[in-house]
Amino acid sequence: MDILFILIPLSVALALLILGALGWAVWRGQFEGVDAEGERILHSD
Amino acid sequence: MPFDTASTDPGCAPEAPAGDWLALDDPQEWAGFSRPVRDREGWQESYLAIQGMHCAACALTVEQALAHLPGVDGVQVNGASATARVTWSPAVSRPSQWLAALRRAGYGAVPAGDLVDAVARLKEQRLLLWRWLVAGFCMMQVMMYAWPAYVAEPGEITPDIASLLRWASWVLTLPVVLFSCWPFFSAALRDLRHRTVGMDVPVALGIAIAFGASTAATFDPAGVLGAEVWFDSVTMFVFFLLSGRLLEQRLRDRTAGSLEALMRRLPQTIERQRADGSFERVPVRRLAARDLIRVLPGEVVPADGQVLEGETRVDESLLTGESRPLRRGAGQPVIAGSQNLDGVVLVRVERAGGDTRFAGIVALMEQASVEKPRLARIADRIATPFLLAVLAAAAGAAAWWWAGGPAHALGVAVAVLIVTCPCALSLATPAATLAAAGALARQGVLVRRLQALESCAVVDTVVFDKTGTLTHDRMGVSATRVRAGVDADEALALAASLARHSLHPASRAIAAVAGNAGWTAAEVAELAGRGVQGRVAAPDGALSRGLRLGSAGFCEAPAGAAQAGRPAAHLADESGWLASFELDEALRPDAAAAVAALQAQGLQVRLLSGDGDGAVQRLARRAGIAQAHGDCSPEDKLDRIRRLQEGGQRVVMVGDGVNDGPVLARADVSVAMGDAVPLAQARSDFVVLGGQLRAVSALLAHARRTRRIVRQNLAWAAAYNAICVPLAVAGWMPPWLAGLGMAASSLLVVANSARLARIADVGGQEAAAGPPPLAARQPA
Repeated sequence: MDILFILIPLSVALALLILGALGWAVWRGQFEGVDAEGERILHSD
Repeated sequence: MPFDTASTDPGCAPEAPAGDWLALDDPQEWAGFSRPVRDREGWQESYLAIQGMHCAACALTVEQALAHLPGVDGVQVNGASATARVTWSPAVSRPSQWLAALRRAGYGAVPAGDLVDAVARLKEQRLLLWRWLVAGFCMMQVMMYAWPAYVAEPGEITPDIASLLRWASWVLTLPVVLFSCWPFFSAALRDLRHRTVGMDVPVALGIAIAFGASTAATFDPAGVLGAEVWFDSVTMFVFFLLSGRLLEQRLRDRTAGSLEALMRRLPQTIERQRADGSFERVPVRRLAARDLIRVLPGEVVPADGQVLEGETRVDESLLTGESRPLRRGAGQPVIAGSQNLDGVVLVRVERAGGDTRFAGIVALMEQASVEKPRLARIADRIATPFLLAVLAAAAGAAAWWWAGGPAHALGVAVAVLIVTCPCALSLATPAATLAAAGALARQGVLVRRLQALESCAVVDTVVFDKTGTLTHDRMGVSATRVRAGVDADEALALAASLARHSLHPASRAIAAVAGNAGWTAAEVAELAGRGVQGRVAAPDGALSRGLRLGSAGFCEAPAGAAQAGRPAAHLADESGWLASFELDEALRPDAAAAVAALQAQGLQVRLLSGDGDGAVQRLARRAGIAQAHGDCSPEDKLDRIRRLQEGGQRVVMVGDGVNDGPVLARADVSVAMGDAVPLAQARSDFVVLGGQLRAVSALLAHARRTRRIVRQNLAWAAAYNAICVPLAVAGWMPPWLAGLGMAASSLLVVANSARLARIADVGGQEAAAGPPPLAARQPA
């Protein structure tokens, strides 16, 4: 069970990293036109 | 591009005259919808409302159309609000180039100056979303750390692992408490500074105590507070609380959004006639009364005025909810904000800028949206004693349980603080009325006093005024008599071809009812006091006959062509009398249907009018109203309303808004038909914009639905508190359950209220709760 002493702090660090990524996405306005993003991949440009 | 729906659908492209675009290149004009980009010297960002967007794929097409232009650096299109933000350099690019590019892609656009000011609101939205995401994500992670403590057998988790899990939970709860909870803490501090107790005080206190006790347990598991932590409860409570706020914010923004869409309707420029008869493009702001302007197809009428030349159809749907295009010819009024669909018209401006009906509507909506319903004010008043009682109960419960261990006592106190949070109670009324008012506004009913929605739900009698309410304030043709062998419709069309050249009320009535069969009149002369005469040619130009339209004597009408005592107009050709048109006040086309709908709702319908009793009774029969009273002076009307009210009836008065001022004020609820008078002067609780009487029955039905939902909300919130508070005080409710219950009850109230954003449409079909139709609508 000693592995938990690494894994749990790692999971905390990962969670904080993901929070940062979410914040970046929010302030880039990515949640303000959510429908368009799904269609973007279908477009050939 | 197989998914490019825009370019395959020509209906996407609204017509916009190119002159408008060039006017936007003037720095003074684009300053209205642009602002300098921070930290980028020489760059601007501008906001456009895109017309003709109806799907997510459209957003991408718009983006691509703009992104490749020289001098345009970034484009963000919001599909939901149909707006685009363009980052561009004035040194290289010009707004007219984007609009041209958009036009090639099949879209129209108007500058959305309001979005420049809405930046603060966007920031607020993003901040709340970010707080919510932090709370939600941390909640998930903290739950995972808490999971072993719930499922493991005693002794199965070694103390060092348990302590590690507590530490990890603490680290992830910290951002929730410090960042996500900031709105609660700052509101609580503000309340305390003002020496009041608001809803956020117990919430903030509950969070602070729970987090503080858990922190102590984390750092010192052997201490007086024991090793029990509530990180999972705290994060979950905050997450659900923020979910409620997020929903409430969305609801509010949607209502504000309808208002802003209204404001975007005015074009920036219009063609104004110079003294020498030529036209120049001037900004709409510079228009004044008595200016002559030319409105091209696709343009939005910039001011209230009267058509002098030309004929067209206009779309007033956004202003009035009337979805059909309306025909407008010489002598007829056009209102600011309506869209000219298919003809070129010369319009004489009567009111511009802040004096227009359009400006009145905007002002009314602003006024209504800041008002607080009576129930909400009562809730505010009782909130303080209630919250003080909550604090006392929490302190009392903690003191009572202190002997059984401080940790348990604090847990009980936290549960009481959280579970009694009257969020649901305080949301119950405003969330419902706001949603209902927004839905009604989209149907062409403006709510001037939000609290009137409450009274509206209990009325049992509807009293109509006649002129301007049940009827249009102009006349209509009620009967036609013709010479043997003449077709009545053809006679009407012939008469209309002459009538269009006259402004006499009778002429206007005939011109309004007749379709345009293609007859054209020439050599028209109006003989004062007698009528109009001229030569009328068939559509193919072959047949031309001299016609006269006017009084009985002028047209040699035989006796009995029209009933005595009724207004009539007559038509004659070279061989004498041709037809007679009996005129009457035109009943609104949906009057009978509206009256029937009201009666079907179990309401008593009455008609009160100052006009002659005979005419009133006749009209009442046509509208299906059994109880009608004519010859009423204003005092009589007031008296009758008072007698009805003394008989225990609740009365809604539907009038034209100005002439019936005192009567409207006397009634329990007043509704004004907004097409008859200047809106700003209307003294009523509601204003029906489209002249659609059916909106009255829709309004009453929706008000009853609103009341039902408010009651459901209140009943649910009260029952929840009544059940949960004793449980929490008795110590039977752990903090996590309290948090879940409180949050669930708030969410339920908001979600229940959101049902009111949908309304059974005046025409009968269900209308979507989305933003109102923009200028994107096309002529059929």
